[in-house]
Amino acid sequence: MNYFKHKKNKGYRFPSQQITETLSKLPNIPINLDLNQNIELLKSAYTDCSDVVFREFTIGARTKAALIYIDGLSNTQEIDQQVLMPLVQLESFDPGTSIENVSKKLAVSDVLVIHTITDVIKQISIGNPVILINNKIKGISIGLPKWEKRGIEDPVAESVIRGPREGFVETLRVNTSLLRRKIRHPALKMKQMTIGKFTETQVIIAYIDGIASNTLIKEVTNRLERIEIDGILESGYIEEMIEDDPFSPFPQVLSTERPDVAASSLLEGRVVILIDGTPFTLIAPCTFASLLQAPEDYYNRFLISTFIRWLRYLFFFIALLAPSAYVAILTYHQEMVPASLLLTIAQSREQIPFPALIEAFIMEITFEALREAGIRLPKQVGAAVSIVGALVIGQAATTAGLVSSAMVMVVAITGVASFLLPRYAAGIAIRMLRFPIMILSGILGLLGVMLGIIAIVVHLCTIRSFGVPYLNSMAPLKIHNLKDVLIRAPWWAMNTLPESSSTELGNLHRQPHDQKPDPSKGGD
Amino acid sequence: MIEKGKISSFQMALIMYAVVVATAILYIPFITAQQAKRDLWLSPLWAALSGFLIVLIITKLYKLYPKKTLVEYSELILGRTFGKIIGFIFLFFLLYDTAIAFREYGEFVESAFLHKTPIVVVTGGIALTCAFAVHGGIEVLGRSATVFLPIVLVLYVMIYLFLIPDLNVKNIFPIMEDGWIPSVKGSLAPHAWLSQFSLLSFLLPLLSDETKAMKWSILSVIVSVLTMVYINLGNIFLFGGIITNTQFPVFQAARYISIGSFFEHVESIVIAVWVLGGFVQLSAFFYMLVLGTSQWLKLPSYKPIILPFGFLIILFSIWSASSFQEMIHSMGTTTPFYFISIQLLIPMLLLCVAVFRKKLRQAK
Repeated sequence: MNYFKHKKNKGYRFPSQQITETLSKLPNIPINLDLNQNIELLKSAYTDCSDVVFREFTIGARTKAALIYIDGLSNTQEIDQQVLMPLVQLESFDPGTSIENVSKKLAVSDVLVIHTITDVIKQISIGNPVILINNKIKGISIGLPKWEKRGIEDPVAESVIRGPREGFVETLRVNTSLLRRKIRHPALKMKQMTIGKFTETQVIIAYIDGIASNTLIKEVTNRLERIEIDGILESGYIEEMIEDDPFSPFPQVLSTERPDVAASSLLEGRVVILIDGTPFTLIAPCTFASLLQAPEDYYNRFLISTFIRWLRYLFFFIALLAPSAYVAILTYHQEMVPASLLLTIAQSREQIPFPALIEAFIMEITFEALREAGIRLPKQVGAAVSIVGALVIGQAATTAGLVSSAMVMVVAITGVASFLLPRYAAGIAIRMLRFPIMILSGILGLLGVMLGIIAIVVHLCTIRSFGVPYLNSMAPLKIHNLKDVLIRAPWWAMNTLPESSSTELGNLHRQPHDQKPDPSKGGD
Repeated sequence: MIEKGKISSFQMALIMYAVVVATAILYIPFITAQQAKRDLWLSPLWAALSGFLIVLIITKLYKLYPKKTLVEYSELILGRTFGKIIGFIFLFFLLYDTAIAFREYGEFVESAFLHKTPIVVVTGGIALTCAFAVHGGIEVLGRSATVFLPIVLVLYVMIYLFLIPDLNVKNIFPIMEDGWIPSVKGSLAPHAWLSQFSLLSFLLPLLSDETKAMKWSILSVIVSVLTMVYINLGNIFLFGGIITNTQFPVFQAARYISIGSFFEHVESIVIAVWVLGGFVQLSAFFYMLVLGTSQWLKLPSYKPIILPFGFLIILFSIWSASSFQEMIHSMGTTTPFYFISIQLLIPMLLLCVAVFRKKLRQAK
């Protein structure tokens, strides 16, 4: 500890002492010639860290050396066989051998020579064991990290009937490999950075060079570099730190756990941000239209996809407006309902004590609560909740005379409609916006509904995502881009990239124009 | 410049279309019918003349004073004092124009549904929404126009498509029974509406593609006129002689829609969709008013005066007419002269002086 105190007086400080600094900003203390001093120094940094292992051994019987790693982060079996064994069994060892030559003796592919104690700490913390040798001012970091990880599974939140079944996992390297397996071209770049004072989370910015615009890449990098936070545990942390309008209910960065979605975004010139420790990656920029595009749209045949997309648009409006339209029509515009239907509704509402607005509010809030409970509860209890929910929302409420059966229908349709939105974050936004519109419709009828819609559209016109207008290709109108908004154009007609991302490089061509299949092109 | 955003000529054309047509389709058929009788569909064609004339004058002025609005170049043309006075007159007129538009919108919604709601609630509600859009700037206006106007256009077309079984084409005969004078008399109100193209002056400096400005402005005038003709034709086919007694013919027409005895009484939906067009119109007026005022007062930003002007507009909308009948009456008689004298004569005067000055300078 003497050395440590001595150094401290000189201004050197260590993670346990100076917790306000990130690892990368620590002073660069060079590795000392004396092995014992180095170990002292490291041990002082790792005081009370029971998971750090210091294994001292000798090379060629005389030269002292030490292996340092964190238990559980490194592959000990491999270290024993490929590193310790050859070094310990070495008959004679010339103390003058350079560290580079030592590293050549190791049967490990990923070996790095390091110069400072800070690097030692960094390498250990990401799972690379480090070897320090006496009388050497360099160390060797060995790329043998290994920890327990989840296998690649079907992405739960974005399931498809047709399409790849693999999803991102919590390990960054696995995720980058999944992307690289889809896009093999060297133009796929992956810039790495570390964010988080304590978590030291590795973050990768992936983009395709030449498709993604440089301003976009620069903007994303700048925004990520600006982040100063103690820890990143999920991509949500980063999303909130980089979005354009923090007070908007709409997501301005897409998140996905599907490698195929990430890859297709890359091909469209967007930037993908991969974060260690979470299967959810971020995609920027995001437009309103992309919230309503499901991955499967691109795997099914285009006619079917177009139909399903229109269905989704229709139900988007139903999810947003059905309860408020019901309230408005029943309160202000009864003449719009055909007479026979009006009689049925009036009959079912005869004994209901509440006005339509209150009725709608009670039911919508109950429904939201049940849905939230269904997500949180353990699976065993979940079934009970759904039974109770079905009874509460459906039968019991109507027979008790609390709500009309028509209202139950409306709530049910709204509920189904909100599940049609492929992006969960967009679904939440719509669920939230439903309530203010309901109040407006209770006050001003259909006029109130329209005022609500206008306010939402104006808001959507205002926000941008990384410089791209949120309603891009609808407003400002770009006819060419509507091929992936209004319809899902067949792949042989998707000739150009969406302008949203590749603005500065012009409208890049994706493929030649004559891709339409035709018997005359078959050759026989 | 106060406004940093840019719009395309196409968006400008859409905004101008909304400015003219949104309230025009409510009131034009009734007001023109008073004079023109069954020749009411000819009246907008006469009015097209003032539309074209104003577009020509305004674009000519803009060429002489690029990147300037009417409020700004009136000072350059007439000198500071007179320029300020002309600017004030124009802005005061614009305030009145905006207020009248809000009143028209409010009266329509009142009489169609919400009979018991105070008109201030209706106009105040839309004023707040407009203020939200105006706060976003011209880009937001341009984009919301591209979102909303196609929907509104489809609605205009649909109303009369659904009514095809009830339309009687023979209603327009005999054409020009009393010569062309009645239709010219009836064109007074359309003249007033189309003279609002003078407001183009506020949008021209904000264009990203100025070369197309002329083309799109003229196109906007043509489409506005055609829409009026279409609506008037539809109404005369549907109502025939009783058109002179129908206050909101388009709204009345929507009541006739009945498809398969299930899809009927859709007038509330028609109004609801019409509100989208009304919104674009009102927020465009609102925007030009605050932009012009802040240019006149040389303010660094128009944002602080949005809400005060919202209040002022609501007040003026109440003051502008004591009753609905009075408003309609004045729109057929005095208001057009007010509109035309300000919106046609002022730009004309400015252009004359500007050209004269230019000649004088060249002579030297």
